[in-house]
Amino acid sequence: MSFTAFVDGPFWYFSATVFVIGVLWRLVGMLNMGSKTDFSTPRSSGSAAALSINITRFFPRADFWSRIRLQVVAGYLFHVGLFALLFFAAPHIEFYREYVTGFGWVALPEWAFILVSEIAFLGLMLLILHRMLNPVTRAISDRGDYIGSILIFLVMLTGCLALARSHEVLRVTHFFLAELLLVYFPFSALIHTFTFPFSRGFMGAHYGRRGVKV
Amino acid sequence: MSLFGLRVSGWQLSTLFLAGLLLFIAFPATAQDKVPASPIMVPNPATDLWRAVRQREGAASGQTQVRGIETGVLIEQRGEAFREYRRRDFIGNAGIFIGVIAGLVLLFYILRGRINIPGGRSGRRIKRFADFERTLHWFTAIVFIFLALTGLTLLFGRFVVLPVFGAEAFGVIASACKEGHNLFGPLFIVAVVLLFIRFAWRNLPSRGDLTWLVKGGGIIGKAHVTAGFFNAGEKIWFWSVMVLGLAVSISGLVLIFPTLGQPRDIMQLALFVHGIAAVLFIAGSFGHIYIGTIGTEGSLESMTTGYVDENWAEAHHDRWHAETVAQAARGADRHASADTTGAVHATTDKA
Amino acid sequence: MAIDMNVFRGFAEQIKMLPQMARPTDCPDNERVKHAKAIFSTKIDASNATQLESCVHCGLCAEACQFYIQTEDPELTPIHKLDLLKRYYRREKAPLRWLHRLIEPDITEADLEATQHLVYESCTECGRCGLVCPMGIDIAAMVHVTREGLAHAGLIPAGLRAVEQEQGSRGTVFGVGPDQLRQAADELRAKGHEVPIDKDKADVLVLTSTIDVLLFKDALEATVKVMNHLGLDWTIHSCAFEGANFGLLSGYSEVQKSASERITSQAIALGARMVIVPECGHAYPALRWAGANAHGAPLPFEVMALSEFLGREVMAGRLQLNPIGADKHVTYHDPCKIGRHGGVFDEPRAVLQALGVDMREMPSNRTANFCCGGGAGLFVMEKAEPMRNAAFDLKRQQVEATGAGSVVTACGSCRINLMAGAGRTQWSTPIESLVELVGANLK
Repeated sequence: MSFTAFVDGPFWYFSATVFVIGVLWRLVGMLNMGSKTDFSTPRSSGSAAALSINITRFFPRADFWSRIRLQVVAGYLFHVGLFALLFFAAPHIEFYREYVTGFGWVALPEWAFILVSEIAFLGLMLLILHRMLNPVTRAISDRGDYIGSILIFLVMLTGCLALARSHEVLRVTHFFLAELLLVYFPFSALIHTFTFPFSRGFMGAHYGRRGVKV
Repeated sequence: MSLFGLRVSGWQLSTLFLAGLLLFIAFPATAQDKVPASPIMVPNPATDLWRAVRQREGAASGQTQVRGIETGVLIEQRGEAFREYRRRDFIGNAGIFIGVIAGLVLLFYILRGRINIPGGRSGRRIKRFADFERTLHWFTAIVFIFLALTGLTLLFGRFVVLPVFGAEAFGVIASACKEGHNLFGPLFIVAVVLLFIRFAWRNLPSRGDLTWLVKGGGIIGKAHVTAGFFNAGEKIWFWSVMVLGLAVSISGLVLIFPTLGQPRDIMQLALFVHGIAAVLFIAGSFGHIYIGTIGTEGSLESMTTGYVDENWAEAHHDRWHAETVAQAARGADRHASADTTGAVHATTDKA
Repeated sequence: MAIDMNVFRGFAEQIKMLPQMARPTDCPDNERVKHAKAIFSTKIDASNATQLESCVHCGLCAEACQFYIQTEDPELTPIHKLDLLKRYYRREKAPLRWLHRLIEPDITEADLEATQHLVYESCTECGRCGLVCPMGIDIAAMVHVTREGLAHAGLIPAGLRAVEQEQGSRGTVFGVGPDQLRQAADELRAKGHEVPIDKDKADVLVLTSTIDVLLFKDALEATVKVMNHLGLDWTIHSCAFEGANFGLLSGYSEVQKSASERITSQAIALGARMVIVPECGHAYPALRWAGANAHGAPLPFEVMALSEFLGREVMAGRLQLNPIGADKHVTYHDPCKIGRHGGVFDEPRAVLQALGVDMREMPSNRTANFCCGGGAGLFVMEKAEPMRNAAFDLKRQQVEATGAGSVVTACGSCRINLMAGAGRTQWSTPIESLVELVGANLK
């Protein structure tokens, strides 16, 4: 079997399966641990706060802004750029239409695809560099943090190198790394993609019951 | 010395550098085009017609119903001239120029050696570059190196990469390099703009700059030169980055947006400017990288950790050092500072 | 102010002696991990799990922590304090525990010991870190879970352990028991105040604290004055008067439960509809939030912080105050456990408004205020002094930024730490108590 056939065939099915099952396994496993009953009389609704914190936490408090500016800005550049290119870049929508959903949706024009990719690259590179240069992140970061972020960078880079759609080997490299990322994803901190609404929600509920907007 | 965690000697680094460059400079100077020769000469019936079209004097543009830029031009005369210039003059000389500069830097290192901190390290550190400044610098550096490598591949690849990897592989490499170069180019523009916003003020000419230059920055001999946060040499590099950065950025933008209405000669001019500026940029970067790493003891850490040894500061940027020390003293006077030494290294209580 | 500075200095001296007064817990070294794990196992739930799994090591938590801000020591990064708990969780609770067991080593006794100063002497569980975390990780809550694990492993720092052991075995703190309480009541009666002690039935059970009995006597006096002034059917009870809960502070849950149940059962026996917690930070969450869980059922009475109660009475018009005047410029320091962890922000401000003073907010105030550095038992841990000092220096800058002439607060620990810092740095700004201001200006 050629490498191309492997990447387009068995490895795609394997990686997609591991991704879906892995994420569900991990997420459901966490949520199954349940919550202890809180017998104290709440000041206000915990569930309402669990929902609202998911919105408000996107906007950092002014108190912290001057110390966290770089990471917040770079973080949004990366995440928003990544979201846009993952879901609204024409080649990706083509892929989903053919291999995942059976239908597509409106795509960004090519120039916009390039623009959001550049934004995502800018954010990701600033974040990876900051992780290496800032004393706090340098002290607390582990192997997984670097593997995850650099793997994403390589997926994005190989995607960029294959933009001309001129040579199969470039496309296959991009696909291979993306599939590798899917396999790695459920076993890494990248799971935050799916757990963050819950972790925020629990914090919101805890403080919401105390009548404190966090 | 340590370079990103790897133990390298100055000799090893220089040799690696030079070896890499040899790849680029050896071949262009002896560039040969491999054009398969046709065994049977078949005359083109319209040769005379097309020769007349091509060699027309005056306006080389005719009338046509096709709308667009230069659609009335059937054969671009300057194109061949530009192609010749690029192949024969630019590539060869660019290669030689880059090689010569690299060689001069190596030679300087052999003759002068590393500039050490006078009196050795003091062991006391002061903060020189903030988190954001270091992040920005290394972002710029990485994007620059990526653009340089992809750009040099686009320039020299046919003569250096293709013979080694073959035409098919080179096709892949070239396509990848073009896409990479074009996507990362605008990121370099962002980097240059941010560098300007952050550092322009500290790079304005100031007292002592001319003296510093006249004395060669004290790099030869042991003359002491005064300097502020940045010395005149660094300021020259900064403004070179700004000017060359502006040149590659504007010309680059013209090149990646070819359908904005510009005629071919603008595109050729853009390629010309882009090429010259890029080559000067790369050559200049050799000096910057050299001085910032193996060339000067204690410099690299300013950009990796953000801190420099006090003796380094006193030796290379005495006025900045004096200001910083005075400011720290004023700050300490205002508040009795908490003694937090040993705070997190207390012994454990067991029972 | 009638604070006896000899008593204040005596406190400081006594705190230095505390470690020697701690009894050994007789926990053999090789059993510590087992005990800690047993606690972790019961405590970890979906909230902890999703939060521990969401951390991407962004480091923003450090930028919110006063201890990191002042020292710039990456060891003090809040999420780093949870490394022990994280490793336990990943190996023994996480959905991927089978994988983590292969690649991560088990927690050791050395790990427990290395975590002690991270979760005790260098953290006040103030919760500021949780405010900035993009994933909403409640680091303070899990620092507390870690404390509970370490406490059962015999690793409470000696000074804190001494007080916890005293409260656990004798029910007293710093030797202040029913006799000392009655003595304090007699002093107040001698000044002409009525002090109803040990009534059989009462509407309102008022708590106090060792610190108020011994040191901040004006606060106790003011509390008595206000209760009488309002004409409430109230009592203070010698069987259950201590608001401070050193079981909560140390993480030793048995003592936490016994201390809070002592109050709960007394309040039930009295038929009280309300229990008022004194000016003491952690005493409020100990009863208001954790008390019901220690009881195993919702509490049949309301729990109010004193500042909360005063504010509510002012806002309802039941408590009238003489205005001091707008030329008194104050700022208000929200005690972390009553503000950020308690939800009490508006009430103390209503009191200050009724007092007619010019109240100026600190740059970081209310939910996002900076901790004074003395909470979570830090003021009885000698090794915590550098941290307390560092936090005070930052708090001082915050106060000075307002231009206020004094700092008003409603927590004895905060008062002690601020006063200690003021003494150390020769800072002349007075630290005032909210209830004392009220007591001195009743209409």
